Amino acid sequence: MEASSIDIVVFAPLAPILGVLLFWFIQLVFIESEKYLLSKIRSKHEPFCRFTNFLGILFQTICHALGFTITKSGISNFYIDIDYGKVAPKKERKGIFEWVSNVFLFIGPFFIPAFLLLICLFFLMTSGFEIINPSQLQELRYTFGEQITSFGANLFSFTNGFFNFLFNIDLLHPAHFGFLFLMIFLGMGIRPSYIGKEKKEKVDMLYDLKNIKNLFINKPIYLIILFVFAYIFFYISLWLGTNWYVAFFVILGWLSIISLVSIIIADIILVLIKTTDEISGKWKVFPYLTIPTSYLVGRIFFFYIPTDFTRPMSILILILSTITVTYILIKRKTDKFKTKSDIKKLKKKRKGVKDG
Amino acid sequence: MDEDELLNGEKIEKVLSPHPLSFMRYQSLSLFLIIWGILLLWLVNFSEWNNIFSQSEWFPIIVWGLVLLVAGVIASIVTIRWSIFFLYLLIFAGGIALMISQGWLDASDIFIPSYTVSISIIGFLLVEAYRQSHKYYISNQRITFKGGIFTKQERTLRYDKITDINAKQGIIGQIFGFGTIIPISQSGFGLGSDKSFAGGGVSLGEKKVKLFGLFGGGKDVQTPRARSYYELHGVYPYKEIKKLVEQMVQGNVITPYQQEQVAFQKEQVDIQKQMRDLLKMQSGSKIDQKGEEENSE
Repeated sequence: MEASSIDIVVFAPLAPILGVLLFWFIQLVFIESEKYLLSKIRSKHEPFCRFTNFLGILFQTICHALGFTITKSGISNFYIDIDYGKVAPKKERKGIFEWVSNVFLFIGPFFIPAFLLLICLFFLMTSGFEIINPSQLQELRYTFGEQITSFGANLFSFTNGFFNFLFNIDLLHPAHFGFLFLMIFLGMGIRPSYIGKEKKEKVDMLYDLKNIKNLFINKPIYLIILFVFAYIFFYISLWLGTNWYVAFFVILGWLSIISLVSIIIADIILVLIKTTDEISGKWKVFPYLTIPTSYLVGRIFFFYIPTDFTRPMSILILILSTITVTYILIKRKTDKFKTKSDIKKLKKKRKGVKDG
Repeated sequence: MDEDELLNGEKIEKVLSPHPLSFMRYQSLSLFLIIWGILLLWLVNFSEWNNIFSQSEWFPIIVWGLVLLVAGVIASIVTIRWSIFFLYLLIFAGGIALMISQGWLDASDIFIPSYTVSISIIGFLLVEAYRQSHKYYISNQRITFKGGIFTKQERTLRYDKITDINAKQGIIGQIFGFGTIIPISQSGFGLGSDKSFAGGGVSLGEKKVKLFGLFGGGKDVQTPRARSYYELHGVYPYKEIKKLVEQMVQGNVITPYQQEQVAFQKEQVDIQKQMRDLLKMQSGSKIDQKGEEENSE
């Protein structure tokens, strides 16, 4: 099927942009889930929530400072605490400079922590980065469909390598353990909004989106300039017969994937905290003790009975044992899984004791 | 604080101790040791580079000592405290002395990590003991600070002697809700100074004539600072305690308006006293006059 020129000239450059936007929206949904979980555990884990707030504000403030630095506005004041962060420029710059600074402020926190993780992954992952080599993709035609396929293929290769790394992560290796720790640590901070002390106002995804929408609506000319640059970049790639244009957006896609996985892992930890909160007394510590113990037991077991899947199996043992221990504790120590028939039986029993 | 230590009418409002994480600057020294110990264990025994370390028993010792001393230098420069470097140097020297004296050089790959981790655990315990030795008593009349493991330090500060209150809260403090409050007394207790010095030298001439000059300049900045047993170090809940101390100071320190009022009241009392004396004198003279009149009659 021959590609129409309108497809190549008008629609093809939009393909990777739409791909990135899609991932970014998925990221926003996951961020919302993280915020929801944090707000649920806030009453019992105030310092923990303050810590995650600090991380979020830290990234936001750094992004803002980065924006001022790039636009050569300079920084006259840099203030940060657990509730609030403020960066003031030396020179009040208007126009495109102000807009670029705001882009950094609103969009930066979604990508900067992931970028730090990407740098770490570059040293840890054995595969996943190689596919963006333009020479391998020169045969691609520059249509919308082909561009989106190229974007997806690149993303798939990275995701494959990344998940392969995650499933084979060696928690006894300091670099791997450090990466996981950093991932959880940064995962807690990949959110641009603050979770308030009290329910003063609802700060949610819509609030974030409103800020970004205002940024674009107030200065549409800059958005148009951005699109013009994107199109020029695409045409240069087309003219040179390379795939640099897609490669650029693929990097943003990678960042989204890393953010998504970080948030999911952070969410799992938040769910564990929320669940164990229901268990009273010392028993609530057991699920946390199960995590290192089960992993170590798994590793020792597979050390004596070697298999090809020692690391993934140990991770699987860790996950399953933690879930099992938590489930048993919830069932035994709380009323969470007590069914109606159980309650009826209990009532009958109590009645019998009373009558007897 | 014992009953017999209390003054007349003194009532203890709060008894405080520093938050477990408030001595993080000391705990972080031990934390570094424990991390480095574990990392070294992995590096020497399980990593892909373990062959390099197995070539000589001195390799693990050199790497261990080098990292330890470099970390000590960095920490000392950052905190402007050379005691950290000397502490790490002592740990390094102690480790080597122990290995040589006991003939454990062959087992350096196991001994060094175990020794480092053991030292860090001892460090943690010492910091914890030091923290627990601190007690602060906030009464309705004064603040009593007590601290020290072997030498017991104590400071008593009456609220009317407090001129300023300095309060600080680091990031960990903000997260966990603790902070440090330094009450500064009229004598300047609670103040320290940051010194900075810049010096430069120049040498002129190479063969016969040599000129040498040295230029220097120093700067001194007063800053609120006290030992942890002379301040309310890392107290929890910070905001509540800060408010309490400020209220106590406010309640015990007389304001300019109150001073004016007291002076005015004194003036009034003096006038009244004078009037009373005058009246007494007047009534006295009247009685005398009456007596004289009666006598003359």
